[in-house]
Amino acid sequence: MIELRNFSYTYGTAGTPALDSINLKIPDGELLLVTGHSAAGKTTLAFAMAGIFHHEIGGRIEGDLSFKGKDIRGFDGMKELSRHMGMVFDDAESQLIFTTVEEEIRSGLENRFHSEAEIGRRLKEVMELCEISHLKHRAPHTLSGGQKQKVALAATLALDTEVLILDEATAELDTKAVRKVFSILKRLKEAGKTIIIVDHNIDDFLEIGDRVVLLEKGKIKAIKSPSDFKATFHTHEESTTSLPLSKNDGQPIISVKKLTQRYGEVLALDNIDLDIYPGELVAILGENGSGKTTLVKHFNGLLRPYSGNVTVKGLDASMVPINELVKHTGLVFQNPDNMLFEDTVEAEINFGLNNIGVKGPEAARAILHSLELVNLGEKQKVFPRNLSRGERQRLAVACVVAMKPELLVLDEPTTGLDAEESDRMMQLMRKLQQEGHTIVMVTHNLQIVRDHVERVIRMESGKIVENSVNRKFSSKECVSKECVRGGTCA
Amino acid sequence: MKEIMQYINRDSFLHRMNPLSKIAAVTGIIALGVFTTNPEVLAVMVLGIFLASLGAGLQQELLKQLKLLVFLSVTLILLTVFTLKSGETVGYLIPAGILTAGGLVPVTTGALDFGTVLSLRFFAMLFAFQLLVVTTKPSDLMKALLAIHIPVDYVLMFVIALRFIPSLQIEGQRIHEAQLARGYNPGKGLRGKIMSVKPILVPLVANSLGRTQVLGLTMDMRGYRSRQSVEKNQLTWNKTDIAAVGCVAVMGLGVVLGGFM
Repeated sequence: MIELRNFSYTYGTAGTPALDSINLKIPDGELLLVTGHSAAGKTTLAFAMAGIFHHEIGGRIEGDLSFKGKDIRGFDGMKELSRHMGMVFDDAESQLIFTTVEEEIRSGLENRFHSEAEIGRRLKEVMELCEISHLKHRAPHTLSGGQKQKVALAATLALDTEVLILDEATAELDTKAVRKVFSILKRLKEAGKTIIIVDHNIDDFLEIGDRVVLLEKGKIKAIKSPSDFKATFHTHEESTTSLPLSKNDGQPIISVKKLTQRYGEVLALDNIDLDIYPGELVAILGENGSGKTTLVKHFNGLLRPYSGNVTVKGLDASMVPINELVKHTGLVFQNPDNMLFEDTVEAEINFGLNNIGVKGPEAARAILHSLELVNLGEKQKVFPRNLSRGERQRLAVACVVAMKPELLVLDEPTTGLDAEESDRMMQLMRKLQQEGHTIVMVTHNLQIVRDHVERVIRMESGKIVENSVNRKFSSKECVSKECVRGGTCA
Repeated sequence: MKEIMQYINRDSFLHRMNPLSKIAAVTGIIALGVFTTNPEVLAVMVLGIFLASLGAGLQQELLKQLKLLVFLSVTLILLTVFTLKSGETVGYLIPAGILTAGGLVPVTTGALDFGTVLSLRFFAMLFAFQLLVVTTKPSDLMKALLAIHIPVDYVLMFVIALRFIPSLQIEGQRIHEAQLARGYNPGKGLRGKIMSVKPILVPLVANSLGRTQVLGLTMDMRGYRSRQSVEKNQLTWNKTDIAAVGCVAVMGLGVVLGGFM
């Protein structure tokens, strides 16, 4: 159905091709998985297959691309192609155009001139399928990242196109939601749809995939069956390095007592008790909306308790001003693009130092040291937004590390990073821990938690439901339920 | 967070009106607001719009804008006082005896009248437009605009601009938090606002620009841009529609015939 023959593509001003001599034939009804590291050409391939380069973006195109046996140029633009192909992109926010979830899905259906009865039926069906019926009247800006992705997926599924392309469309979904998407795709595959999943992590979909295409530097490195792929590229090495468990008999660096937080009527945190000790590497796990980010925002005073209290190094976090607390707690947010605004990497780090009064040679030393820590030593004079996503994420860490806070909190530090970059980020966490920082990371990535983290705190609907030591790092493992009330258990 | 210019899901007589008649009424009000210089006519319009919002229980929405509008009015009146001198002099902005014996910057009746007219115009236009936006679903607004043959690209631009207002507010807040976490303390008041422009506006604008490609492609892939016509039966007229458009039309006629231009 979709066929690429010697297909190469070069972006407008780029010197080297983003896709190089691709030969690939995707028959009707196939579920194809496309994977590879960052900048391997995955998204470019997805755009190419949807006809976006031929009809919208342009650039230098060589070789042939056909869809349904016809040269893709022969279609009447995206107008005609979009009747056959649906695509879900990675940035969910930008795919929501209307002010309610229902309108978002309905308006797409109306574009296809279905009858009112059919629109109503499909609308109901797809909202139930994606488990978003309860969000029907909600505005996009009130949804979580995962919910937005579900709505974007539902809006595309509703159109019932023969081909469905998902470009990193599940990055912000938690495990439960990914399993749901898995079952939806399985059903669609059984119904004969052609599905192309492009992702740096395809593990969740290997079971229903027909073939795996591995891209590297714009070329197809290998095409394998999912089982072969698993065997060849997925020999996950069990690391043997183990760090001694931190001693918990001293004073906690963070102490949370009976913390409750509300957003209007919603109870975001419900009577939380938690102690974090110097030198620990702790992960806060939980599904979307369980209160993880809300909790850590109390550690540097961005949020003040509704009731209960939080102490940071003995300071009452509800009384001390933020710019004082940030000297002790460094918070790195999920999206580095929300903080980068200077013209050079160096100036970006200097901004934070300046804010806490570190200037001159001391600042220069701190900049050099933090850049070396995050492996960006060579990029001092580079424009921050020209860095890759992984590099920008590491720069965000450097900006905070330079301020030398004892506690470092990272909100989803590996979201949107490929396996290699995620690993590099985790190595960095370890290095920072060895330098004496206490580290708290908020994540929904179980693999990372299993491999790297000493203590796991699991949250559900604003409560801590598990607080346990990772088996890998301790022989003194404990049964989670016993630990819930006791705080730490080593 | 205070939401501005967002559809409010309720059931009022304004919500039940046909979006086309609302657009016609708002267009009429804006045209009238531009053409008439009579403060009484403008005041009647502002009062009428406010009464309509009371009837629909949406007065709070309009009152939210009061602070901005009062600030705008004061600025406009000051501007006219500084730039326009006509009619009688009622006093001086800097009274006699402070800097000079005769007083500086005379305040004239002509300037005050003109400043008031300008302010009332803004009140009428903004209130009317806001009532249209908060009582009409963006998709209905889109249908109505397409039905009067506004090109689909412009309609989408308008709908998207409205949709992204709260998202930008939230993103601005997130960026603000991220900068606070880096110890940024621009201070309060006007100076703080000016100081925080670069660290907040640069990421906000850069992120928005980065979003345009996916937004455009989504519209294409969901077939919005190939949508040209709308079945007319989806838009029905009721008595309120006729009354609203009628009211504005009668006022318009009154202004033209009564010589209140």
